[in-house]
Amino acid sequence: MISHGRPSGRPAVRQMAGRRTSWVVWFRRAIQSAFLLLFLYLFLQTVYHPINKAGWRVTLFFDLDPLVAITVWLAAHALVSSLLLSLITVAVTVFFGRWFCGWVCPFGTVHHLFSSFRGGKVKARLEAGGYTRWQRWKYYVLALFLGSALVGSNLAGWLDPFSFFYRSLATAVFPAVNLAAQKSFGWVYLIDPGVGKIRATAITEPAYDVLRHYFLAAQQPHYFWSLMIGLLFGAALALNFFRARFWCRYICPLGALLGVAGKNPVLRLVADPATCNDCRLCLADCQGGANPQAGEAWKPAECLYCWNCRSSCPSGSIAFRFEVPGVNKP
Amino acid sequence: MIKSAARWLVNFFRPPPESGLDLTRRSLITSGLAGVGGGLLFGIHPLAGGKSFNPDLVRPPGAVPEEEFLGRCIRCGECMKVCPTNAVQPTLLEAGLSGMWSPVLKMRMGYCEYECTLCTQVCPTKAISELAVEEKQKVKIGLAYIDRNRCLPYALARTCIVCEEHCPTPKKAIWFEETDVLNIRGEKVRVKQPHVDPDLCIGCGICENKCPVADRAAILVTSVGETRNPKNQTLLPL
Repeated sequence: MISHGRPSGRPAVRQMAGRRTSWVVWFRRAIQSAFLLLFLYLFLQTVYHPINKAGWRVTLFFDLDPLVAITVWLAAHALVSSLLLSLITVAVTVFFGRWFCGWVCPFGTVHHLFSSFRGGKVKARLEAGGYTRWQRWKYYVLALFLGSALVGSNLAGWLDPFSFFYRSLATAVFPAVNLAAQKSFGWVYLIDPGVGKIRATAITEPAYDVLRHYFLAAQQPHYFWSLMIGLLFGAALALNFFRARFWCRYICPLGALLGVAGKNPVLRLVADPATCNDCRLCLADCQGGANPQAGEAWKPAECLYCWNCRSSCPSGSIAFRFEVPGVNKP
Repeated sequence: MIKSAARWLVNFFRPPPESGLDLTRRSLITSGLAGVGGGLLFGIHPLAGGKSFNPDLVRPPGAVPEEEFLGRCIRCGECMKVCPTNAVQPTLLEAGLSGMWSPVLKMRMGYCEYECTLCTQVCPTKAISELAVEEKQKVKIGLAYIDRNRCLPYALARTCIVCEEHCPTPKKAIWFEETDVLNIRGEKVRVKQPHVDPDLCIGCGICENKCPVADRAAILVTSVGETRNPKNQTLLPL
């Protein structure tokens, strides 16, 4: 029941609901993992290969990012042809809402993962899970960046999710992982524990070779300001302990842009007040603060279409349906 | 059908209050204007608009003129990740606050490899425009100059030809003048003193990177002469 990535959730609560995590949620997790792995794969492809040719489409996620396209257009009066791919993102969002945030965005997936690490009782989560007006701040961040881009300063990269994630990986996380591997394997190599002729290095050295060949950098990279960039990255992840997907709810300017585009989707959440038992478990598991519970107005611009609410609803009152708003209902 | 489509369109431009966009016009305009104001404050920074140039701001090859560069660069760090010599580094304030975390070459960390164009290939917004290897080898990203107070043949009358040996251009941009100088014991010795040819130097920085004077090199690359900024030049004809 506690479906947002706590498979070992408390058994008592599980029994109470008596429902298993919906297959849609598992499907969404698989898609999210695939896009996160693709992002990391493209990240590792961005190296000297060892020929002077970068890997396949290493800019793919930036190409899909309409915030990058629009700020570059405003600030430099230039349309980059590869960035026109982001029109697809916008077009789909107009009809299907912020699916991109919930299913594709690799930084969102990382936040989703960290949100699921936080403990806390269901009660605390549902009290903190609802929509708050602070969620408007991401739209202000977006307006700020668009305003400065209008007069030639493109600052969107500071908080654009792909830029933030990629920059943090490139200058902080990846070098730190390299150093960790080098130090730990180096330690084993120097100590060389073992019995008689059976030494640990017989395993660790080939393993280190494989890591270095496929994953690590040829030489330890060093960057200025990696501490600052790394601390900001850590802070962005730590904020998930206050609210699920804090970044996506309150900060992300791309999320705001997609929220504006997807404020009136045709795929809509319908909560049936007749069958709803008002347990508000949907609210406890909601990732975006979109008020999925019956009796409240669902917020399409905040919904990440993660399907958690539908999956956790014990009475099956929540459904996503195709409908044109304002036509079927008064 | 047509009616519902029309309804949908109307709802799109005038969203119902429950859509989740409960934004007041006042707050949106305020934040947008704050962005405009901030952007304007950045725009009157001395480095903006090509009024002055930071000698330490050596951008990667293919970088567009500075003003357009700051409009395009999204500080994603792909160029920093891909650089095989680790030369491309994030700025803090070298390009002004508005340029924070944009790329800069730090020649003591690495240098611009003569045969490499990777950063020009991976830039998602073409802030670093894509160049073929032959094009890139002609792009000047800066110009080297010699600090004669630190350079060994000048300052200490010791033989050193490291910068000339590493210089990658077909005709070396560093040439030697053989001179008789006095060493620290007052004896006359013959040394080769290096000079930079500003027409041939492309500012790749391998001389600065390999210079045996370890902390601050005796030959340094600054941004003057960079192809992308026609005003950042040694203005008198050479």
